Amino acid sequence: MSRWLRAVLLLGGLALIGYGLAGLLTDSYITDPWGVLVWAVGAVLLHDGFWVPLVCLVGAALARGWVLRGWLVVAAAVSAVALPAVLRDGENHGNASVLPLPYLRNWLLVLAVTAGPALLFALARRWRHRPRGGHPAGGRPGAGRPGGGRPGGGRPGLRRPTKRPADPS
Amino acid sequence: MVLGRWLGAALLVCFLTGLISHALQDPPDWLTPHLQSRPVNGYRVTQGLHVISGLAAVPLLGAKLWTVYPRLFEWPPVRNAAHALERLGIFVLVATMLMELFTGLLDTLQWYPWPFPFRQTHFWLGWLATGGLLVHVAAKGPLIARHWRRPAAGLPQRRAFLAAVTAAVGAVTLTTAGQTVPFLRRLDLLAARRPDIGPQGLPVNRTAAQAGTVTVPADWQLRVDGPQPYQLSLAELHQLPQYEVELPIACVEGWSASARWTGVRVADLLVRAGAPAGSGLRVTSLEVEGPYRVTQMPAEYAVDPLTLLALRVNGEVLAADHGFPARIIAPNRPGVLQTKWVARLEVI
Repeated sequence: MSRWLRAVLLLGGLALIGYGLAGLLTDSYITDPWGVLVWAVGAVLLHDGFWVPLVCLVGAALARGWVLRGWLVVAAAVSAVALPAVLRDGENHGNASVLPLPYLRNWLLVLAVTAGPALLFALARRWRHRPRGGHPAGGRPGAGRPGGGRPGGGRPGLRRPTKRPADPS
Repeated sequence: MVLGRWLGAALLVCFLTGLISHALQDPPDWLTPHLQSRPVNGYRVTQGLHVISGLAAVPLLGAKLWTVYPRLFEWPPVRNAAHALERLGIFVLVATMLMELFTGLLDTLQWYPWPFPFRQTHFWLGWLATGGLLVHVAAKGPLIARHWRRPAAGLPQRRAFLAAVTAAVGAVTLTTAGQTVPFLRRLDLLAARRPDIGPQGLPVNRTAAQAGTVTVPADWQLRVDGPQPYQLSLAELHQLPQYEVELPIACVEGWSASARWTGVRVADLLVRAGAPAGSGLRVTSLEVEGPYRVTQMPAEYAVDPLTLLALRVNGEVLAADHGFPARIIAPNRPGVLQTKWVARLEVI
């Protein structure tokens, strides 16, 4: 990326930040900009100080197979979008067309339906990697193997790549 | 890196569609004469995209922040002035992105637990987030350029993780986009609205009870002010030439629903008032208070043959919640400006 392009992006970005900040501080409707700052810092603290450590703990301690981890990623996303509606169900200020659906049921339904393909996927892997030739104890199934296939990103050094177990037959 | 590209794209879509929405809903004076009433579904598409890409950004942001979490603890925390500024920029980006997604999601539910006004704060934080993104791209420019074309290292874990995030984006989109995309309506399980649920099969943003317009005065008359002012009773309005149009109600909260509206062309009413060519319109509602009790309609919309003072929807007389006795319906216009319970039109 050329120096000029980077300089333009940097200056443009700073200009947008400056414009947004000025607007935030001078908007006549926003009487308490500190309230916005408190909520923004709170959001970062809650996300980085509570949510991500929780995800890492759950991922490291409970969810070893990457199919389960994958489903947990989907479940977390669906829950982030659905939970406010579940918590808010019924509060519509007398407007029956706001939040008109059974959100608790639908949330559980989506979790269950997305668990279906994940389960099938795990079973298919287990079937494909099943030990053959009458050695049921040999070759551990890939999906459930401890430490196998933690989903990518962060610290690859901590993980072993998922290798297919050698065919024992 | 791949996550960042998609997240950056989602943020840019949100920012641009947000600017369009702001321009249509609250235009500065210099822009008003340039607003266009076409394409008919313009606002429906841009605002639908705004909320769809905002919701898709929820798993993308979560995944992106998870992958870079170890970097939060890099040592030493600050190497030099440029590094300090870069990290400050990332803080601005992360904090404003979290705020935008959180406040935007809750706004679709009409839930406001925070002490600041939603619309203005969401608007200004959008500038900060986009500025933060540009600074971040500038800081990481060489890295982004290096990875743009290079084939991704095919680590199975990485593939699995990206597949999971893709599935998460798909699940969130499929179960919410039905609030605006017609063919996904049956999958609309988690969105705050269903386009076919509401009085007369159409959602409502502000009910007659909330606006204090449940009962309309028996002697209601439409007042049209202009060079030749006049008044019309509801019966007289029904006797004027009626037109039927298929137009969407498209809300800033990301839902939209199409309906068949029947009523009198606003252009006809203006001609009858002797309005000179190029006249705009000021519309006043019966409601006692509310930020959109009085709205302005640029000339481009007022002369559009699709713009009606509607008296009926889907063949029925308007329900109180849909603006009985008469409401404005115009193409490519945010829902809050489709003024309900109309009392007066003024040529301006």
